Amino acid sequence: MMLKQNLRTMWKFKALYLIALPGIAYFILFKYVPLMGSVIAFQNYNIFHGVTGSSWVGLAHFEKMFSYPEFIRILKNTLLINLYDILFAFTAPIVLALMLNEVRKVVAKRLIQTIVYMPHFLSWVIISGIFIGVLSPSSGLINNFIQSLGYEPIYFLGDDSYIRSIIVGSGIWRDTGWGTIIYLAALAGINPALYEAADVDGANHWQKMWNITLPCLLPTITILFLLQIGNFLDFGFERVYVFLNPLNRVNGEIFDTYIYQVGLLQNQFSYTTAIGIFKSIVGLVLLVGANWLSRRATGNSLY
Amino acid sequence: MNRKHLGITALIFILALLLAACSTKETTQPTPENNQNENTTETDPKDNEEVKLDPLKFSISMRTLATAYVESHPDINEDKWVKSLEEMTNTDMTIRLIPHREYVERMTLMLASGDIPDVVQASGGVLGPELAGAVEAGVFMPLDDLLKEHGQNLLKVIPQEAWDQVTYDGKIYAIPDYLANRSRRGTAIRMDLLEQTGLGIPKTTDEYLDVLRAFKQLGVENPFQGRESFKYADTFFGAFDAFPYQWEYYNGEVVPKFMAGDKIKDALEYHRVLYQEGLIHQEFLTTPQPEYRSNIIAGKAGMWSMNAEEVLAWESEIQQNVPEARVAIIPSPVGPDGHGGHYLYNSVIRSFLINSKTKVDVERLIQYFDWQVSDEAEMFFTYGVEGETYTLDANGNVNYEIPEDSNGLNEQRYRSYWLWLVKDATYTKGILELTEDGQELIRIFDDILANEGRDSIHYDPPIEALQSNPDIRPGSDIPSSVWMSGAARIILGQEPIEYHDKIVEEWLNKGGRQAIEESTKRYNENNGVQKPN
Repeated sequence: MMLKQNLRTMWKFKALYLIALPGIAYFILFKYVPLMGSVIAFQNYNIFHGVTGSSWVGLAHFEKMFSYPEFIRILKNTLLINLYDILFAFTAPIVLALMLNEVRKVVAKRLIQTIVYMPHFLSWVIISGIFIGVLSPSSGLINNFIQSLGYEPIYFLGDDSYIRSIIVGSGIWRDTGWGTIIYLAALAGINPALYEAADVDGANHWQKMWNITLPCLLPTITILFLLQIGNFLDFGFERVYVFLNPLNRVNGEIFDTYIYQVGLLQNQFSYTTAIGIFKSIVGLVLLVGANWLSRRATGNSLY
Repeated sequence: MNRKHLGITALIFILALLLAACSTKETTQPTPENNQNENTTETDPKDNEEVKLDPLKFSISMRTLATAYVESHPDINEDKWVKSLEEMTNTDMTIRLIPHREYVERMTLMLASGDIPDVVQASGGVLGPELAGAVEAGVFMPLDDLLKEHGQNLLKVIPQEAWDQVTYDGKIYAIPDYLANRSRRGTAIRMDLLEQTGLGIPKTTDEYLDVLRAFKQLGVENPFQGRESFKYADTFFGAFDAFPYQWEYYNGEVVPKFMAGDKIKDALEYHRVLYQEGLIHQEFLTTPQPEYRSNIIAGKAGMWSMNAEEVLAWESEIQQNVPEARVAIIPSPVGPDGHGGHYLYNSVIRSFLINSKTKVDVERLIQYFDWQVSDEAEMFFTYGVEGETYTLDANGNVNYEIPEDSNGLNEQRYRSYWLWLVKDATYTKGILELTEDGQELIRIFDDILANEGRDSIHYDPPIEALQSNPDIRPGSDIPSSVWMSGAARIILGQEPIEYHDKIVEEWLNKGGRQAIEESTKRYNENNGVQKPN
């Protein structure tokens, strides 16, 4: 019988299963049990009555979400900010790693690396403080420069049209250096014989990068890209919230900040859980789609 | 034993350790302090032999209220003033601090976790968002009978208006920390600068404009210092009676003040002038509180709005940077109707609710709160401990030195404002009386502020149509985000004044129409409505 056979194999590799146990327990406890909490999206949840005591309302919260006049705006913001983030913040570490790879002086390379890693360790609150200071129309560095060129200062944080760039830009500044670590490791793993052979064939710098370095990096890039896609729509609450104000909310508000605003500050737990579920489903669809695409195109995939 | 078995036993051992670590963490945390039930022998409360009782042990959650002393204290439960308070009242408090900025989230999490302390401090009334409907759900106990028996002094001292705010369904659910004078914010001006301009104290909005322009000419960086979300930046909205977060009865309906006639457009036009001429801080729409305050302290502002009680402390701080600075609270600008002022605070600033499942002796708990309004308590919270921080002379006059450094001032304020649970929070009379400046401040409160301010129609419980739509829902002193984004555009000159009609339209479409219907209906039925006097 199958079951018996399965059990026998399990017994044979009991040590492996034992080692896996803490991990499995972790996922059950912290990932799957909270998942059950999602049922409150179909209830009018009251924290004092709990899941068992609250009344069921079916899909009412989802209907409310789709009929909410601002829903499209928030969805658009979320999608656009994430798209920009993938376009720019995802590619930036690759470019930086390739550039760092070309730096031949070890001391200079180490120094640059240390400097670009640094911002990663700052919290978003501090980063927003730095950015707000630098972008300030009256005292900011950038506006001083703009004014010295004879132009009017720009109120960057007071304008809808800049907020997405600021959010994505601050993310790039913070995490690009950190993101290079994996790529640099992958670069170090490339077989030097490939380059030597290319030298013999008379390839120049550019050709070597295009024909050796990039193809060797591609598996790493795809995996990281797929991981990133899995977090699509899950941009992170804090990094957006710290930049929001009434003047730029229209273009800056995303699902995470909206959920915080409505769910935690105004106790609409069920409604915001519904939004959260919607967000996760979109993320899942995107991940499966991208994974399928990548398997077809490059042969690399997460699963 | 072979090596394989050794590995497995080692693994099991580690797992067991891990599990043990997890479980101890879980079991130690939620055991509340009140497990040790008092075995208070049923003594007659009039019996004065209370000394024999064990200290009344209870836990209490309190918002830090951005009180510097509390927020920088390593452990408030070990604080010397808490200790003296406990000694005086034969209690053993365990204070759980709720960070000021994350107040609503942290309160909701605390309530949701079910680990609720014996006493919970809420802001304002008993139906606020931070309590998440706990009163309606029976989490806290009604106090009427207990108060009648053990809280006579509380019932006597606290004004009816404040009790009304903590009443739900005909029963009192909390003990309020109250304001006898609801007008707390004043218009502050740098008198030294005003004298340099040669102008008199301004009264009307036009005169205010003249003064601000003169400030600009003097080279004052921010003639009027504003702050984000129109918080403490709404002095001139008051002159026009157009606080965008207040409600009024207009043409047979209860509407937001920004829909009651054209006064809001006058107010916006006024702000546009302020902004365009550089009379208000150019980034006031995004200036957070710390920056707002530091600009003023640095002497960069000519005029601003503030909690009048703190004006003396701020003045001395400004003087550290600008020695000749003198700050005064002057009557707020008046508009076309001859009135003005800031918004009127809720008459309850904090309220204390008692957990209905508490195991603490509630009668003694009420007595503890009753003590807060006694003369003994007033002496302690105002001046501290006799022989340590103050002395009494033969005539019974108090000899108390008001601290001069900011640490000392912070400590004094913490004691009289934060740790003193129930009192008239308008100002600490005993301290102000000691100095001439303080007496002046009492006069300001009684003569200037008591006569100004704009009231609103209040609803308790709140309007449901607003609850479900955060975009159009105003805070207690900040406008809704729909209105704010639109108004900001007008003030910055990106849109004409007429754009306000679009804001109103948007507001109505997002659920404002239902809100007006609901509020008008409840107004007519007199259902949970507080009408302005």
